[in-house]
Amino acid sequence: MFENPQLSNFFWFSMSIAYAFCFSALYTYSTVPEYTLELYNNAQINITMKLATVRLVIVATALLAYPIILFRFFKYAKYFTVALTAWAVTIYIDDIFVLSEIIKYPESGLISSIQSLRPILIASLLWMSVELIYHPLRVNLYHEK
Amino acid sequence: MKNKKINDLGLSTILGNASDEHSNDKKYVVQSSTFRLTFSFINLYALILMALFFIIKGNLVEGINNNFLETGFSSVLNARAILLLLLLISLNISAYFNYGFKYVCLILLAYMINSAIDNAVLFSGFMHITDRPYFSAFSATRPLFIIALFWVLLIHKDNKKVVKSV
Repeated sequence: MFENPQLSNFFWFSMSIAYAFCFSALYTYSTVPEYTLELYNNAQINITMKLATVRLVIVATALLAYPIILFRFFKYAKYFTVALTAWAVTIYIDDIFVLSEIIKYPESGLISSIQSLRPILIASLLWMSVELIYHPLRVNLYHEK
Repeated sequence: MKNKKINDLGLSTILGNASDEHSNDKKYVVQSSTFRLTFSFINLYALILMALFFIIKGNLVEGINNNFLETGFSSVLNARAILLLLLLISLNISAYFNYGFKYVCLILLAYMINSAIDNAVLFSGFMHITDRPYFSAFSATRPLFIIALFWVLLIHKDNKKVVKSV
């Protein structure tokens, strides 16, 4: 039922970093104290939290779907990983260059540390994409199914 | 007998019967007419969208709400138009060389879906469909563009794999 993807240890390491980052982001944004939002209650923060919620729903869906695609439909794993990487890069570029004047994250140590660690997530996803695209197929030459 | 076979092959080649599917000598892949049509639509749509943005930016199109562009939407549209142009150039280059097309298409797809979500979340509160009717028409037809991208991604034929006989 499940396939063994036979990937390098570095791939699993990158995947665990990506998962750790996503779970930390989920935890951070779902536990933002109410008083922080009320203290800086302005339109920019409200709109940012709205956008963050939508993004976190997509992240949660991807976290659930990724292992299924990797172990069950390995053929499509590279396309899914490339799409996720493209999305991560897009939202990073969006936040820094496009939406910099529109969105504003609430002042919190956890949120700022999560924001500063985003390039690590992108690097991990990039490595996963590269490995899935270029990894050599390990074909058993002597035993055919 | 052998000569007859060679003559048949020669004749069929001259008459144009050597189709793409049966030709082993061709090193390139001919894309289907559906692909070419959809790809042209994608290019045309993106170019008109960018042209429309510059028309709106230059206030050449009359809108009902004049404060429409003073909400920070202008800077967002500006950056998005530049990014879309860069991605469209990459898509055309990858289609021309038939290398990495699916990945570039996937990146453009992710970018377009993300920008649609961003616009819906950030600007839905103070952007009405009648503010700029021409622009709203394009926003409303964005799913068509996304479907076209997805369709192109599915029907694209990669380069033929060279199989060496042992």
